Amino acid sequence: MSYDDWFRKDRLPHIFCAGCGNGTIINCTLAAVDQMNWKKEDTIFVSGIGCSSRAPGYILTDSLHTTHGRAIAFATGVKMAKPDFNVVVFTGDGDMAAIGGNHFIHACRRNIDLTVVCMNNQIYGMTGGQGSPTTPRGCLSSTTPAGCNEAPFDLCDLAIAAGANYVSRWTSYHVKELEKAVKVGLETPGFSFIEVLVQCPTAFGRRNKFRQVMDHVEYLRSHSLLKAKRDRLLEKNQPVPEDMFVVGELMKRNRPALGVKP
Amino acid sequence: MKLVIDETRCKGCNLCTKVCPYKIFREGRKLNRKGIAVPELDRPERCTNCRLRNLYGRQLCGVCQLTCPDQAITWIDEEPYEPHKVAIEY
Repeated sequence: MSYDDWFRKDRLPHIFCAGCGNGTIINCTLAAVDQMNWKKEDTIFVSGIGCSSRAPGYILTDSLHTTHGRAIAFATGVKMAKPDFNVVVFTGDGDMAAIGGNHFIHACRRNIDLTVVCMNNQIYGMTGGQGSPTTPRGCLSSTTPAGCNEAPFDLCDLAIAAGANYVSRWTSYHVKELEKAVKVGLETPGFSFIEVLVQCPTAFGRRNKFRQVMDHVEYLRSHSLLKAKRDRLLEKNQPVPEDMFVVGELMKRNRPALGVKP
Repeated sequence: MKLVIDETRCKGCNLCTKVCPYKIFREGRKLNRKGIAVPELDRPERCTNCRLRNLYGRQLCGVCQLTCPDQAITWIDEEPYEPHKVAIEY
């Protein structure tokens, strides 16, 4: 298959747990990158630290595996130094929202021509399941054994408010939609942010009654509310269900961007 | 085209059994050398991409391949004169 050429076959199978959705997101991103007809020499994948950030290690291009939370900062440097390169950032919720939150909002503000794919598994998976800024209310983790009582971060709202050009959210169940969203993100000049909610059977599912992988995927499927449907509900003044999250293309606009290929 | 599961990559998460619209994948029962129950194929000749890929000249469906987190599912070309099974669905 076509996007299969982008994998480093000697490094597969990868280190992710059985049932982890990160591999699905790598597939979708590479399928979108493959449709762009980019050369492997001109494409750079950048990542920070975490489960999600192991992704560029399995991809046959130049990649940067950088310090914790600074993936977007390094990617900004790459893009500013060499605007001809296509830069894609893989990052996780603990990497981007927690320690790298400031880099994230400033990259949105500057509107640098990057594509950021955030694999949001709602927990710190690699270090043993500590609560992250995106852990939903009431969810158990090793640092919130009685249930998380903080409000979670809505990363898409944050990106929209900070000024990103393209923002969308999908889950690891919606593979075709995710592939299209990543492709639109790659085509859009300026900062494009794609948040992907992903199952984590080992750290998140084990503590939150999603012991089977499919239970969690089914939860993601049944609790996602399409943006069009949300807008219809708002139009009719009907209540939007509290426990559901909105998926779809949340923002597409044309703010002046930095570092666009001349 | 022929549907194949790469046993060296599959980790037995059984996500493919849930996403295939034709329910071609079934949960495996026999453990392989690595101790993983690789899913079995139930009449794979029903798969859209197997039947019509060469006719349309593009990827059809392909949800299992995109979903497989371990990149284990692929389609390969058949050998010339390989015996075919024909599935008839009523």
